Amino acid sequence: MRGEARRAEALAARLPPLLLAAERVAATVAAGLHGRRRVGEGDSFWQFRPFATGDATSRIDWRQSAKSHRTFVRETEWEAAQTCYLWRDGSASMRWHSALATVEKTARAELLLLALAALLLRGGERVRLIDAATPFSSGTAALAGLAEALARPPVATGLPLAADVPRFAAIVLVSDFWLPLDQIQRLLARFAALPARGVLVQILDPAERDLPYDGRVRFLGLEGEGETVIPRVEGVRAAYRSRLAAHNAAVADCARKAGFGFVSHTTDQPPETALLSLYMALAA
Amino acid sequence: MSFETPSLLLAFALLPVLWWLLRVTPPAPRRQAFPALRLLLGLDPVEENAARTPLWLLALRLLAAGLVILGLAGPTRGGGGALPGSGPLLLVIDNSWAASFDWAARIMAAEWVIDRAERAGRPVALLATAPRPDGTPPRLSPPLPAPEARSRLAAIMPAPWPPDRRATAAALSAAPGPGHGAVYLPDGVASADDALFARAITRAGPLLVLESPGPPPRLLLSPRSEGEALIVRLAALPAAKLAPPAAILAETGDGRALARVEIALRPGATEAEQALRLPAEIRNQIARLVLAGPASAAGVVLLDERWRRRPVGLATADATTAEAPLTGDLYYLRRALAPYAELRAGDLADLLARPLSVLMLADRPVDEADAAAIARFVDGGGVLVRFAGPLLAEHPDAFLPVRLIAGDRAMGGTMSWDRPAHLAAFPPHSPFAGLTAPDEVTIARQVLAEPTATLANQTWAALGDGTPLVTAAPRGAGWVVLFHVTANADWSNLPLSGLFIDMLRRIVRLSAGIAAAPDATPLAPAETLDGFGVLGPPPPAARPLASAAFASTPASPAFPPGLYGPENARVARNLATGLPPLAPAPAITPAATAAYGALGRPFAYGPRLLAVAALLLALDLLASLLLRGIVRAGLAAIVILCALPLAARAEMPATPNPALETRLAYVVTGDDAVDRVSKNGLAGLSDYVNEHTAASLAAPAAVTPGADDLSFYPLLYWPIAASAPAPPAGEVAALNDYMSHGGIILIDTRDADAGADFNPGGAATLARLGKALAIPSLAPLTVDHVLARTFYLLRDFPGRYDGAAVWVQRDQDRSNDSVSPVIIGANDWAAAWATDADGHHPYAVIPGGDRQRLLAYRFGVNLVMYALTGNYKGDQVHVPAILERLGQ
Repeated sequence: MRGEARRAEALAARLPPLLLAAERVAATVAAGLHGRRRVGEGDSFWQFRPFATGDATSRIDWRQSAKSHRTFVRETEWEAAQTCYLWRDGSASMRWHSALATVEKTARAELLLLALAALLLRGGERVRLIDAATPFSSGTAALAGLAEALARPPVATGLPLAADVPRFAAIVLVSDFWLPLDQIQRLLARFAALPARGVLVQILDPAERDLPYDGRVRFLGLEGEGETVIPRVEGVRAAYRSRLAAHNAAVADCARKAGFGFVSHTTDQPPETALLSLYMALAA
Repeated sequence: MSFETPSLLLAFALLPVLWWLLRVTPPAPRRQAFPALRLLLGLDPVEENAARTPLWLLALRLLAAGLVILGLAGPTRGGGGALPGSGPLLLVIDNSWAASFDWAARIMAAEWVIDRAERAGRPVALLATAPRPDGTPPRLSPPLPAPEARSRLAAIMPAPWPPDRRATAAALSAAPGPGHGAVYLPDGVASADDALFARAITRAGPLLVLESPGPPPRLLLSPRSEGEALIVRLAALPAAKLAPPAAILAETGDGRALARVEIALRPGATEAEQALRLPAEIRNQIARLVLAGPASAAGVVLLDERWRRRPVGLATADATTAEAPLTGDLYYLRRALAPYAELRAGDLADLLARPLSVLMLADRPVDEADAAAIARFVDGGGVLVRFAGPLLAEHPDAFLPVRLIAGDRAMGGTMSWDRPAHLAAFPPHSPFAGLTAPDEVTIARQVLAEPTATLANQTWAALGDGTPLVTAAPRGAGWVVLFHVTANADWSNLPLSGLFIDMLRRIVRLSAGIAAAPDATPLAPAETLDGFGVLGPPPPAARPLASAAFASTPASPAFPPGLYGPENARVARNLATGLPPLAPAPAITPAATAAYGALGRPFAYGPRLLAVAALLLALDLLASLLLRGIVRAGLAAIVILCALPLAARAEMPATPNPALETRLAYVVTGDDAVDRVSKNGLAGLSDYVNEHTAASLAAPAAVTPGADDLSFYPLLYWPIAASAPAPPAGEVAALNDYMSHGGIILIDTRDADAGADFNPGGAATLARLGKALAIPSLAPLTVDHVLARTFYLLRDFPGRYDGAAVWVQRDQDRSNDSVSPVIIGANDWAAAWATDADGHHPYAVIPGGDRQRLLAYRFGVNLVMYALTGNYKGDQVHVPAILERLGQ
């Protein structure tokens, strides 16, 4: 019981700043994803049309009808909500930051996800997590539920199974994508077959971008990849950069072929820019 | 520079190997977690041979290794001399009086010699050159192994007599045969039979003379009395360069130092002297003179009655009425002199049969029968004081400083128009100079001197019209002094005044001290000096000696320096008496000469080198950790900074703004000694207040009224020196302003109300200040005053002195919160409060005791509280009344 209480406390302590930060980031990006410009189920008025046979009498707008000799029916605008499926990589390689950055990659990924979720929820969309259950998918309560779900330790490492993603869903995958390229390719192919579209967001630490080490260094992997000794790191920096660029280009190419967007973000940059480009990629 | 194990230096050849090993072994890589390891796997470095140990680290390690090798090889310095000869070593040590000045260094040098002999496997034969205390001559020990020789050496003590060279030479003839070698530690002073000794010791084989590096020995000679001064004399071997002045302390029998004089010996000089001037009462307490520095019998001079007794003989013509109360000739003389001198009365012949300093004849003409004895007395240095009278006026004799006009002169009688005459100021050449002649002294009748050209110079005291009252003339080694009035109150009221006592004391002080005459009575030694100048029981060989033979008998075990004679008439026999004049000892040839340290223990560098190497290796470890990234650079810097000893913290400069902290202040008088006492006193009081009360005082400030702003200080301490000039107008205005705005000035005359004798001019200075300052009406401080109960309940207010009245404002001034702006006292409080750097009290309180010091501090606390809280505790005064009212 006491352990539960402690976890709840830790959770509560963590939620508000994360949520607030997410709201703040979201507020700086212009909202307004909705508006189908069609007649449908909704709350807001769309148009009056003359009564036709077959309409329910309860739908007659009596006040409007009394102004003339014809009978009018009130129609509302159709507000279609799409479900957006979010996922962030919770593996060990994400829980790391170098001296050049102040936050771990996971923290930045969660911040981006929540900010995006806040935006989407404000736009009336539904938001869910892949491979994790959330109590609500829409409304303001959903954001807190999302945050709570993100705070739970990830159950699995590696790419999501994506078994329960429905058709036509929007998908946002946030990771550093230090994965074999064929794994990414297989997953994206599965999504494309649904069909579903979305965006890949790559979160990088500045050290991963620049390799800012000197001298003889023994590099250790975080996920059991082994280790390697580089005798003179400054000598391999250029080669590393070109490898990084090639990897990113391959991932982006994969994404493009599957109809996904690709956004890369380093944690020493403000999250707003990443959110904006993510938003643009999602809206495209 | 030499090495204990030079073979280890071969290890330097290994350094290039170490270089190569360090060169080819790369440093361990830093460990770095990295998520994008997948991209790094299989990356080929462009240059492979870069992973080498950095050059500076390599140099650091090689340096450390080199230091280790060097340190283990054990480099040493010093102690390079070699023992002379081979076989049993002869070690001759002078342990005479002159050797005690550097005794510790001498014994250490001898121990080094024994150490060397032990290492060389040579036995040592010891010989100390001074006769032993039991009177036996110096004896040569058989060759001893080193441990036994060390214990024999430890038993050798310096002796308070010169060496016995002849006996030493005889003992040396029993030395091991030629060629064995000898080491000699001389005392450097020439003595009898030096040549004999030199021949004997050079026969013992190759000779090494170890000479003292210290200053040459010094000898305190018997002082000389000259008038009121004691002339302290010091003899020394001529030194080539200027030695620091020798300090000589005058000590009482129980070891308190009463005075200190310094004697500077010019280069090349063998003797110097310095006058020690002390009041007669103080001087009579001196029991010995001690040369500051290493303890030695040569640095102690014992003083006996010669230097202090001043017997005064009193004689008159008519012995029957001489002691009649108020009218007798000797009545006033006896009462005036009894506290200060030993008085003898009686027949002139009886008096002169014993030694006298001063002979006073009250109206007693000298007849033919006594003339010869008196002439001998005066010519021999006695002081003859004569008082006029009817008999002398009729029969002037030869023992007068001036020629008298027959008859006498009367003034102010019923038949005279004259009025009784007053005294004029004393002329500067007179021994009475400095005394003040009170107005109430009047002379009604006197004898008159015949005017001569030299009369003015012979006059020690004169009347207002210039008529001589006291005349004096030297005769032989002594003085003849004439008072032109009687010794009783018939002719004048001079004997009734305090001036009479002072004049007589000055005259007695002129006289020479008288010792019991040297005679042939053998005096037994009572207490004798040891080699370090400490009095103790006489050695077993000591024998009685007639005081007449003191000067001709040099010190020896039979007649050591010390105090001789019965308990009540000790005669001092000093080392210098009977010693020939100091001269440097002739050099012994052939002999090698070296300083004490020549055979000393070597200085080893090894441990230091190893310590430096360890430090370098620690640095290397730190640098390696730094290179591997285990320790960050910042952390390393912190570690190094912590390892460095904290340099002396710079003293915070005194805060320039006095308003930031409460502090006491004292007025700068310009006299360094007084200001230092004030500063230390207020500092001590501040510490005491901080420790015992809630008040928090900073270090005291020195202020000059008029120049400094006084408004920051609650209390000003102002010691008044008698010689203080009148304060300038600006200063007075500043002090008046300070007092009118709530400040408190504590004026301390520091003289315990002792009057004009102790602090001439003090009262006048205070009066001058009182006129200048706006001081309100004063009243003595009583126990009912607030000041007596602001913190402690006090009945007395002592400082260094006790008992002087303390004055505060008489009337309560409501506008100033009923606080007295000025407190005047004479108890020298700052001296009682003063502490030195060690927390001791440098100034004794008088009459003394911890209680008085405590009360002085408590008065200080009350004073500070009074200054800080005003009449806050004033209600306490009314507590009994309030309680009484409440009870009703």
